Amino acid sequence: MNKRWLRRMDFTLIFAAVAIILMSLVTIGSATHINAASAGGYGFVQRQGIFAVLNIALVVFLMNFDYKMLQRYGMKLYVVNIVLLLAVMLFGHSALGAQRWIQIGPITLQPSEFSKIIMIISLAALLEDKVGKLNTLRDLLPIAAFVGVPFLLVLKQPDLGTSLVFIAIFLGMIFAAGVNLKLLGAIFGAGVLASPVLWHFLKDYQKMRILVFLDPNVDPLGSGYHIIQSEIAIGSGQLFGKGLFEGTQSQLDFLPENHTDFIFAVVGEEMGFIGAAFLLLLYLILLWRGIRIAQDASDTFGMLLAVGITSMLVFHVLVNIGMTMGIMPVTGIPLPLMSYGVSSLTTNIMAIALLLNIYMKKQRLIF
Amino acid sequence: MLHEFELRLKFLSALIVLVIALLIARAGYLQVYQGDEYARRSDGNRTRLVPTVASRGTFFDCNGQSIVENRPSFVVSLLPLTAPIKPEVITRLSELLHVPREEIDAKVKAHTGYEPIRIKGDVGQDILTVIEEQSELYPGVIIEVQAVRDYLYKAQGAHILGYVSEISEAELDARREEGYRTGDIIGQFGLERIYDKELRGTNGGELVEVDVTGKPVQILGQKAPVSGHDLHLTIDWRLQAATERAVDDQLSLIGAQAAAAVVMNPQTGEVLAIVSRPAFDPNLFVHGISEANWKMINENPNDPLDNKAITGEYPPGSTFKIVTGTAALSEEVVTPNEMILDTGVYWLGEKGNAGGEVLGWLDFTSALAHSDNYYFYEMGYRLGVDRLERYARMFGLGEKTGINLPYESEGLVPSREYKEKYLDDEWYDSETLDAAIGQGFNLVTPLQAAMVMGEIAANGQRFQPYLVHKIVDADGKVLKEYKPTLLSTLDVPDDVIRLVQQGLRDVTKEGTAAGVFGAGFPVDIAGKTGTAENSQGADHGWFVAYGPFANPNIVVAVIVENGGFGSQSAVPIGKRILEAAFGLDGSIPYAEAPGNKRR
Repeated sequence: MNKRWLRRMDFTLIFAAVAIILMSLVTIGSATHINAASAGGYGFVQRQGIFAVLNIALVVFLMNFDYKMLQRYGMKLYVVNIVLLLAVMLFGHSALGAQRWIQIGPITLQPSEFSKIIMIISLAALLEDKVGKLNTLRDLLPIAAFVGVPFLLVLKQPDLGTSLVFIAIFLGMIFAAGVNLKLLGAIFGAGVLASPVLWHFLKDYQKMRILVFLDPNVDPLGSGYHIIQSEIAIGSGQLFGKGLFEGTQSQLDFLPENHTDFIFAVVGEEMGFIGAAFLLLLYLILLWRGIRIAQDASDTFGMLLAVGITSMLVFHVLVNIGMTMGIMPVTGIPLPLMSYGVSSLTTNIMAIALLLNIYMKKQRLIF
Repeated sequence: MLHEFELRLKFLSALIVLVIALLIARAGYLQVYQGDEYARRSDGNRTRLVPTVASRGTFFDCNGQSIVENRPSFVVSLLPLTAPIKPEVITRLSELLHVPREEIDAKVKAHTGYEPIRIKGDVGQDILTVIEEQSELYPGVIIEVQAVRDYLYKAQGAHILGYVSEISEAELDARREEGYRTGDIIGQFGLERIYDKELRGTNGGELVEVDVTGKPVQILGQKAPVSGHDLHLTIDWRLQAATERAVDDQLSLIGAQAAAAVVMNPQTGEVLAIVSRPAFDPNLFVHGISEANWKMINENPNDPLDNKAITGEYPPGSTFKIVTGTAALSEEVVTPNEMILDTGVYWLGEKGNAGGEVLGWLDFTSALAHSDNYYFYEMGYRLGVDRLERYARMFGLGEKTGINLPYESEGLVPSREYKEKYLDDEWYDSETLDAAIGQGFNLVTPLQAAMVMGEIAANGQRFQPYLVHKIVDADGKVLKEYKPTLLSTLDVPDDVIRLVQQGLRDVTKEGTAAGVFGAGFPVDIAGKTGTAENSQGADHGWFVAYGPFANPNIVVAVIVENGGFGSQSAVPIGKRILEAAFGLDGSIPYAEAPGNKRR
């Protein structure tokens, strides 16, 4: 039993995920100055490390379950999700200008992180019997409304980044569910036309972020500062990097949020192009496996789950890393498995766990 | 359907590869292609070159007395690093320092780079205490200790020493390749300007690694500053002081505003004192001159920043008779003993002495002693303007003496060429008569007047006037020593010079200066008074003199603007200068610097 169980594991995926987590712990350590006696010490690394181990233990335990049973809870999970997001609006406390956190004992949770994975599960459950039947706007509208409610709740927090992840998940999953491509094209076209109206609904700081993305020098000491400093950090790492703990941009605090949203810049600065490219290749393996698992999934629900998870991850990687290198606007979404943050880490490990579970169940009979 | 599904997932795979490839390409662009540029910017972020300003060289007089020093001054500055200085901090600082907000804002706006923005210098202990104890109210405000110039004797010798100030944008553009940087102190006037290179030394600095708040983390490198060199002047500070007093007392006595005086050693060219009135206090410029003070200086019609001793051009008046007389004897248009009858009004031009004085029969020496215009009209008539011009030039008139001070004027020598060139008119004989008595197209600086007198004193030798005796480095090593430079010798017979000397001695014995000097003056003095006609107002009074007559080591030139007759305005000043120079006022007489052999 044990042996068969092991043989059904996707070791390539596990290797990539564990390697990224290890790189994350080292980089967070450097970014939080664990080498300097006076500074925060091992606090951040310890927390992240403990949660990684706890999560992985939980994953091993959860491997005995079958993801397929999740399909039955699709609608219930959806309701829980909405309730959670409403709770944040009512009881959450704000930080950095956004109301995203909820305090439970010593742990600060960010429900919008978990809501992404719940969204994927409930959307997969919803789409399961609609594959190949998404040909008209009438077919699509209920699904769009289904995603639209949590999307708006997250946007309202305000958390533009996470709400955009919802759109990425939605698009990825309906694409995999065989949505009519002409219809998809029409929706894109409408989206482009509607963007000036959407612009109107953005908060000033969100507009500023987009303006600064277009030209960081609009506000070099304000919002543009982060992008400029991040680009300097990455660029100055050159081919081989400045060495761990040697990144002046990060160590001397020129780089903001260096253990959370801008952690890729620390990798770029201290490990150079070699380190940055290595990390990106690990993500490529991870994402590639995600699609492979979708292809090999034993049922449509599993396929949709895998596509949803992969869409979420690829969007995070593109927007976060793109942001640190100045090719994406500043939206506070973390780099999966790299950025410091318990909620994000847990969500992503759970997502990987789901992928593994789908992979395990790909064939009833292995021999 | 299955095929379609496979295709769509393949498309998603391709999209993922594309995304990762795009990100790797971007990383490669930033890190490999533009890596050097970003590495440079990263270093610019974390490192600051904190300059250590070299101590500026100081000034000593010919007896080793210290005249100019440096003193520490506390400067309140702003150091904006990653974030701009908050408006409320600027408001608070403006109130604390009593500096207008707009002035601070303007400085902040004009600022680039990482050097501190200096807001106010010479702040007192009370303000320092406030800023230090309430530092949390003043983020970005720092206190620097700066060495500033201290002109120990305030306005005394101001036109010699000059002043310093922070380099201006225009100067910076012009002199950047000479090593001048923003915020550098540069000599603006006088010796401070001419010898700026020697005085300024070489700034050192520390390359400091700082964190994002500008807090130094470690020192990456150090370069010690090299102090500037000291200047030992030819100026005799005691004589300078006496000259200033003599000028000031006389000006207040007669109610005149502007004057200049030069004291030199005719045997060497060493300048012992230079006075120009009105003067200014160079200390006012040390921290950037205030608007009120600048207005006071700039709007004074007599221009305190003008060194009238070398920049002012005046008609030489009767002091020019030294040149005319020398020319007449040398050219043998007159013999020393030829008697000429002053009949009052010269036939050409119908002019005579001031006040219509008629002096009767005169030989050369008595004509010079009494400064008889009729006699010198005749000399001018006999010589003609061309010969007059040649001798004037031989004395060094019409050209800069080359003294090591800025803004020296050339003066003007009467000539046909000048009149044709600038007035497009031919020369008239009556103008030769004007020129012969130092009027008309005839201008000299007080320094040139002193030089002419000095050449007679030194038996025709013309020495380059100079102010710096030696340049000494901070370790006391003499880097450069200036020796007397003989520029030229008058091409006239020795007995001509002797006759001119005799005539000039008689000026103080029986001539125009005898009334002031009296019979009892213990040192034999040769002199010449002058009254320069001034179309703008009252005449300027001149006096040039040297002594002791037998072996002169002092030559003096004094002009009092709008002072009227030289004998009444300038001679009393000259007399007091000579008294000080020879120790007749109870002081120590001027002693030539060791090594300068008396001729």
